[in-house]
Amino acid sequence: MTSLAERQASLVAALTAGGAVPPGFDGRLVEAARVALLRKRAGEVARQWPELARSFGGGWLREWARWAAARPTQGSLRDGWDLARDLVGRDALPRAAGAELAMREAAMHYDGESAPRPRRGPAVRGAAGSVALQIAGRVRLLRRG
Amino acid sequence: MIAYGVGIGWRPEIAGFVAQLPGLKFAEVVAESVHAHGDLPVGLSELRNRGVAVVPHGVKLSLGGAEPVEPARITHLAAVADRLGAPLVSEHIAFVRAGGVEAGHLLPIPRSREAIDAVVANVKRTQAELSVPIALEPIATLFDWPDDELDEGAFLTEILERTDALLLLDVANIYANALNRGTEPTELLDRLPLERIAYVHVAGGAEHDGIYHDTHTDAVPQPVLDLVAELCRRHRPPALMLERDGDYPAAAELRTELDAIASASGYPAVT
Repeated sequence: MTSLAERQASLVAALTAGGAVPPGFDGRLVEAARVALLRKRAGEVARQWPELARSFGGGWLREWARWAAARPTQGSLRDGWDLARDLVGRDALPRAAGAELAMREAAMHYDGESAPRPRRGPAVRGAAGSVALQIAGRVRLLRRG
Repeated sequence: MIAYGVGIGWRPEIAGFVAQLPGLKFAEVVAESVHAHGDLPVGLSELRNRGVAVVPHGVKLSLGGAEPVEPARITHLAAVADRLGAPLVSEHIAFVRAGGVEAGHLLPIPRSREAIDAVVANVKRTQAELSVPIALEPIATLFDWPDDELDEGAFLTEILERTDALLLLDVANIYANALNRGTEPTELLDRLPLERIAYVHVAGGAEHDGIYHDTHTDAVPQPVLDLVAELCRRHRPPALMLERDGDYPAAAELRTELDAIASASGYPAVT
């Protein structure tokens, strides 16, 4: 028999990373939990990234779930940030969400791997037509897309 | 424990509302949202100055994890308890990560001997660093493990006895689990050591596709309030609190929910 640690890891993989439902579990109920978890995360990310969520209107949950289904959470700040950057990379970030991302990018250094931290020097960053400037920790939006 | 009566989960979004509850004596804060050494959020230090007891509620220790609980998380919980002058702390009988991956939610552990041993060991590691008691909360779950050996009453009672921990009873979790499993919520009340209850959570939920979800973002349904009343008929706990985590309604609606908990438990209204 596999260890409790391994069985807990398979269950987490099924719920967050597209893994198979471990043997013996009720597939319908685990699926309901997986969907509920994505819905909860969508709400948390929307609180952290309100413009990003609003820019998709009623399609936010679907857009979020498509991206997040196989990506375990890194916390809602990083989750929203990773999604926004991914959208930029596909040229799919709505213009209404550009200012929020540009301001965060100007304010903080985020390497995509660890917790974002405040930038030491000044920075100008753009996203989806918006441009933000940060000097000495103060962020100003130069252009809204 | 002192009878605190009706309390509320303090969250930054409703800090203004909580600050204006004249009769409040009990509040809870998510432990991971409080800095161990920096300044307390303004609303929280005001509550402390008013003499409101504030209990840190951990959500990320993962006491039910097969791996030992991370020492830094225990240290943080203990420091926050000291910072708040809290009479106790609380956490869940659940795991939230495995193999380095965060689940993002509280997940059930098997009701097996192996899992009981793991959770008991983690609770004891935590207790060793705390200067106040810990209360453990059984969670709401949409599914169970296939290898459950014990029923929920026996499982929880054994964990409490072996750790000498207090019980944080969430009546909404009992309601949700019973509804989804097709059992009677009062059956579990009959099996639990109610005299060990430190305080009670009361929260709302919603039904999707025939499954009841304990969301904490919806209104408290009447059957949950009925269960509060039923619990208090058997043994009235020292404190019962409203737990709301999002989609905050207008102040009047929160006030109505607090009053409903007061009326169901027989404690004075705090509004």
